[in-house]
Amino acid sequence: MDNNQEPEEATDRSELLSGDGKNSKSVMCQRCGSKVLSPGIATFAEKELFLPSMRKKSGLSATESSVDGDTLTDHWLVGDMFDFENVGFTNDVGRIKYLICADCEIGPIGWHCLDDKSTYYIALKRVTHA
Amino acid sequence: MDPRYDIPRRATAGGSGGSANSSPALGAQSRRRKMPPRPADFKLQIIIIGSRGVGKTSLMERFTDDTFCEACKSTVGVDFKIKTVELRGKKIRLQIWDTAGQERFNSITSAYYRGAKGIVLVYDITKQETFEDLPKWMKMIDKYASEEAELLLVGNKLDCETDRIISRQQGERFASRISGMRFCEASAKDNFNVDEIFLKLVDDILSKMPLEVPNRELSNSVLSLQPEPEVPPELPPPRMRCC
Repeated sequence: MDNNQEPEEATDRSELLSGDGKNSKSVMCQRCGSKVLSPGIATFAEKELFLPSMRKKSGLSATESSVDGDTLTDHWLVGDMFDFENVGFTNDVGRIKYLICADCEIGPIGWHCLDDKSTYYIALKRVTHA
Repeated sequence: MDPRYDIPRRATAGGSGGSANSSPALGAQSRRRKMPPRPADFKLQIIIIGSRGVGKTSLMERFTDDTFCEACKSTVGVDFKIKTVELRGKKIRLQIWDTAGQERFNSITSAYYRGAKGIVLVYDITKQETFEDLPKWMKMIDKYASEEAELLLVGNKLDCETDRIISRQQGERFASRISGMRFCEASAKDNFNVDEIFLKLVDDILSKMPLEVPNRELSNSVLSLQPEPEVPPELPPPRMRCC
């Protein structure tokens, strides 16, 4: 997926990436500041993933097919759940576990498929960097 | 039994190994990280058990409010959390399993207990029956948990002091009859003692570890005292939880 990015976004991204393609800053919860990833732990990855909305009304549900949410492509990727500083895993929704903030439980901030034990995604747009 | 959420034997991902320093890279231009991020020194599995409604889940949370989380919790629910604490200069990753929704004694399978290094047993100081259930929970612990598992009894809902039925002494007495069991009272609502609970438990777990390896506790030159804790062969089964 080599989509051309908006120039502005590209600039933002280079601030977040170190030379080796890892996150140069800490990845934190937007709401409570809980640290999700330490710098240098995750690699940048592009993958189209659907994450249900973080807003209240759209609960996720295993059965409901019309869930409100966003398809996001920019993610931080780690290969082990113990690479996270703090993160919560929801119960299974189909073969998916959504990742949430471990402290305030806002989310989903990320995505994990049970069929691939070595990929855990955190969506850049659902977290802050500091 | 699905082994997918066992503590992995070893991270397969990059980024492990190396020693201290987790300071952010100074610029996006740096070609290479000279200091790999510091990996966790220990990984520990902790389970929270106790009768229905005692506040197990809220012990896992520092706070909640009513945005997404409510919707998320009521429909899907939180399975487990990874939390990192630093203690005695060590970085410890906790994998915390909250068994809410499976409060019948026999419904929590042995796999939960087996891998646990720490077990938090919770009752509600305002509900007699949750205290009376404790021996049944202890039976499960005796049957399934590792003998080395650290036990902590928590009398929760200290914020409801006026409705208290179980005295502090009763809790203390119960804990004192079980060798190595610690006791404290907490209020998840006010966050009173909640962080301390986990730190205390982890501290107890760590204090046992030097016995298994040469005692180098005071030497900070040793980052990793011990290889990762052994892994339970099986994993807690998928949760059935009503929504």
